[in-house]
Amino acid sequence: MSKAITADAIIIGGGVAGLSTAMQLAGRGAKVIVLERERIGNGSTGRAAGLLGQLRGNAEHTRMLMDGVEIVRELEKQAGVEIFVPTGSLRIAETPERAEEIAALVAMGKSIGFEIDHASADEVSRMLPYMRTDDLLDACYSPTDGHIQPAELVSAYLKIGKARGVEYRTHTPVVQILLDGDRVRGVRATDGEYHADVVVNAGGPWSYLNAELADAVLPTAAIGHYYLTTRPDPAHPVDRLSPAIRDRHLRLYTRPESGGLIVGIYDPEPELHDMRRLPVDFDMSRMKAARDSIQVAQLLDAANRRFPWIDGRTPMSITTGIMTFTPDARPFCGKMPDIDGLYHCSGFSGHGIVQSPTIGLIMSQLILDGESTYDCESIEADRYFDVPGYVNRVEIEEKCVRMAGNYYGGVERPRPVASGSR
Amino acid sequence: MKILVPTKRVPDTDQKIVASADGLRVETDHIPHVINPFDAIAVEEAVRISERLRDVEVVAVGIGGPEYEQPLRTALAMGAARGIIVQCAKPLDPWNVSRLLKAIVERETPDLVLMGKQAVDDDANQTGQFLAALLDWPQATFASRLEFIGNELRVDRETDHGIETLTLTLPALVTTDLRLNEPRYASMAGIMKARKKPLETIAAGELGVPLEPRVEVIRYRSGDTRRAGERLASLDEFAALIAQAAGIGG
Amino acid sequence: MRILVITEHDGTTLRPASLSCLGFAQQAARPSSGEVAWLVLGQGIADVAAAAAQYAPVIAIDAAGLEHELAESYARAIAEVVKSGRFDLVAAASSTFAKDIFPRAAALHGGAMASDVVRHEWADGRLLFDCPRFAGAVTATIALHGSPQFVTVRASAYPAAVPLSQAATVEPMELPPATFARRARYEGLRSKQTARPDVAEARVVVSGGRAFKSAEDFERYVGGLADVLGAATGSSRALVDAGIAPNELQVGQTGKIVAPDLYLALGISGAVQHLAGMKNSKKIAAVNSDPDAPIFEVADFGFVGDVYAVTPELIKRLEQNGAGATG
Repeated sequence: MSKAITADAIIIGGGVAGLSTAMQLAGRGAKVIVLERERIGNGSTGRAAGLLGQLRGNAEHTRMLMDGVEIVRELEKQAGVEIFVPTGSLRIAETPERAEEIAALVAMGKSIGFEIDHASADEVSRMLPYMRTDDLLDACYSPTDGHIQPAELVSAYLKIGKARGVEYRTHTPVVQILLDGDRVRGVRATDGEYHADVVVNAGGPWSYLNAELADAVLPTAAIGHYYLTTRPDPAHPVDRLSPAIRDRHLRLYTRPESGGLIVGIYDPEPELHDMRRLPVDFDMSRMKAARDSIQVAQLLDAANRRFPWIDGRTPMSITTGIMTFTPDARPFCGKMPDIDGLYHCSGFSGHGIVQSPTIGLIMSQLILDGESTYDCESIEADRYFDVPGYVNRVEIEEKCVRMAGNYYGGVERPRPVASGSR
Repeated sequence: MKILVPTKRVPDTDQKIVASADGLRVETDHIPHVINPFDAIAVEEAVRISERLRDVEVVAVGIGGPEYEQPLRTALAMGAARGIIVQCAKPLDPWNVSRLLKAIVERETPDLVLMGKQAVDDDANQTGQFLAALLDWPQATFASRLEFIGNELRVDRETDHGIETLTLTLPALVTTDLRLNEPRYASMAGIMKARKKPLETIAAGELGVPLEPRVEVIRYRSGDTRRAGERLASLDEFAALIAQAAGIGG
Repeated sequence: MRILVITEHDGTTLRPASLSCLGFAQQAARPSSGEVAWLVLGQGIADVAAAAAQYAPVIAIDAAGLEHELAESYARAIAEVVKSGRFDLVAAASSTFAKDIFPRAAALHGGAMASDVVRHEWADGRLLFDCPRFAGAVTATIALHGSPQFVTVRASAYPAAVPLSQAATVEPMELPPATFARRARYEGLRSKQTARPDVAEARVVVSGGRAFKSAEDFERYVGGLADVLGAATGSSRALVDAGIAPNELQVGQTGKIVAPDLYLALGISGAVQHLAGMKNSKKIAAVNSDPDAPIFEVADFGFVGDVYAVTPELIKRLEQNGAGATG
């Protein structure tokens, strides 16, 4: 390719974050090109379980997730696919600390009009006959939660994006971000230059390397993650609409999948990946767990405590992939002060699928309007920009690993929110 | 009863594997290595037998450099009782592997050798049959089911023409096919216990088996990558191309 | 050079793969003006031996001890013939029969063996073999040390031998009873009951993947299209795992390796393991709803669409097409 291709925005990364942003930008008339290193939706997106728990410790995040469901409903209509599976969700508590957490969560949910209530062990047992419930102190049920099917979400983003004129180029890694002083001018990919005033770094676990192409520092780390999927077992039928479960004490989450059960774990000692060491055409779908993986063993042990019928001999598949954590487990969405036109959209810390519908909208607002209708304070890309200790990769990774390890481990203290506030 | 399970360390063949530019090697250094998947099936079957029957000892064997401990650790974590590593710096072809294994079989005198039907790196599908011939033992390759009946072993084999059933007198050698079982993932207890299980090291030279190289690799090249063809918009044209390729109709 | 080719047969007819293996042997023998002979083993094999003699001279061992294709006795019998006939190269088509018996025979002669040969060449007076490794991701060109050498040959890589103008001789041979001693007992064979050709041997294969949600759908769509084309049915591992398609239909690294004239992949995404089993097909056609499915990267022609909608349309069009040809 000799002549540079021009567009209004170049998006680096064909995962849900980049695809949603591209679709939203194109919906407002922008000419968008998505450059994907490998295949569309085959990075973290392709490995995700897609659990949607809308009630977060932060009211604005809760609003983003609730609005995301509305956006997904619209995508389902336009693309003609079922994306959101409304299974409802349960949080369970087997320790007094976790019971307190649930009480606070229910109070907070009710204070903002979110459908949530306590559920007794008997009620939980009726809903989930395949789960051990005799040790539960409390539980809460949110009927409007569920999960998003990642493959269907990707196909909807693609279908609608294509209809709006978005161009997708796969197997096209970006090797340089082109700058003109402190302004972004485009990117150079393996097949030539692409010129645009806006470049969006939606590279997931690779996003910190993309930032380095512009001499910028993005404090994310690539963290390994594991979940198992049992094969359908007539002795333990899992209904398609069985509620998702979060057991923060055991660090587990579950949801139904094809007649079996997905059980995932937020490992207390997570694996750190060095993305630089992976080949440029690394195919995340080929990642595999060893038969004697410590991570899988920990997952199995925890799963066995909640589901005594699951052990290492249960017919199952293990899915392993890489997620992108930040020091506070919240994403980076927006610009840094020093480079104009370079936007980051990464660091979803295991929640990229469910956050992507609203994040795409927010990104398009930030890019085209310079501001969003959402309060973005907690997800601003520059929130660590001037904070000491977030420059050096080793320090950043240490902080992100600690966050990932404490994820599900630390006890949450959500506070009820006065009505009317955002 | 004693079951001997030979294992091999192989690159994970789900990763992209290519020949080096000079054609002298296969680029596998950057690829995670695992226990050969068919050997994992053999370990699983042996462990299940030991869980089902009394007094069954499962011994895993590996041949190679120190890194070949890895599949043995996996086998021990899955439930094998002990491991033997035959230290040998040079990579060996199936003939020499089977000759070293014969020496191990003569030391250990197992009732059953259970091993993968092939290693997924060289795909030779030879070592088990070589070993059975060297021992003059009955063999059943491509096993999809095993059952002990008295002192005999009944084996279902997957052949091109259906499931064949054989009964073998022990001692015997069986190679495992994909559908024999689904290997387990080790539990935390399994991994912890494995750290204390005995792992014996024997230098290949001590076995009194002079190496007899049989396979000399001249060069490697990456497999033919097909170029993507035409994407058709019309179903009529697509159907016509199918008809043509299948040799039916116009 | 003297080459012995082991026939594979069902008691009455030669399997077509054996003729391709004979084709390989004839090519390999040509530079040295070598000789090629068949070995037909079994019990009551007069018809097969006569059929084989249409192509090359036959050594026939007809013995009660060879009633079933058991490795111990077959390997010894082959080894005896190789020894007495002073053969340099012994070949058989790759199949579960040859893979079971051949290495065992090779081990009785020193273990010089190559598996799944897809190409050969003479270089500096040595015969070199191309053998796929890593499920076909890499091909190794190898030389074997020692003699005699044993090879299994991918039938799809060689053209079938052509009949001679005049049938060759059939030489019966007797072997000592000890040859047939064995400690494995044959109990039976549960063969597949199907009117369709075997997926490993068919000229056309219609294969179904994850897109199919039930065994009934698989039979209706994949089976339906296969019947219109006179094809075998195949499947990806996902369907076998899900219990939707039977085991023996699985094509892939760990299933059957096929190379038909046409491989039609319906709703198969094209995971590497599957590609390893079919990428050497002469033509590959694919239908998938995902335009980015990797199967399209190897397909000669593809159609993006839902298999549930596309397949009935294809059946309709191909039925018309077939009718047009015969009528």
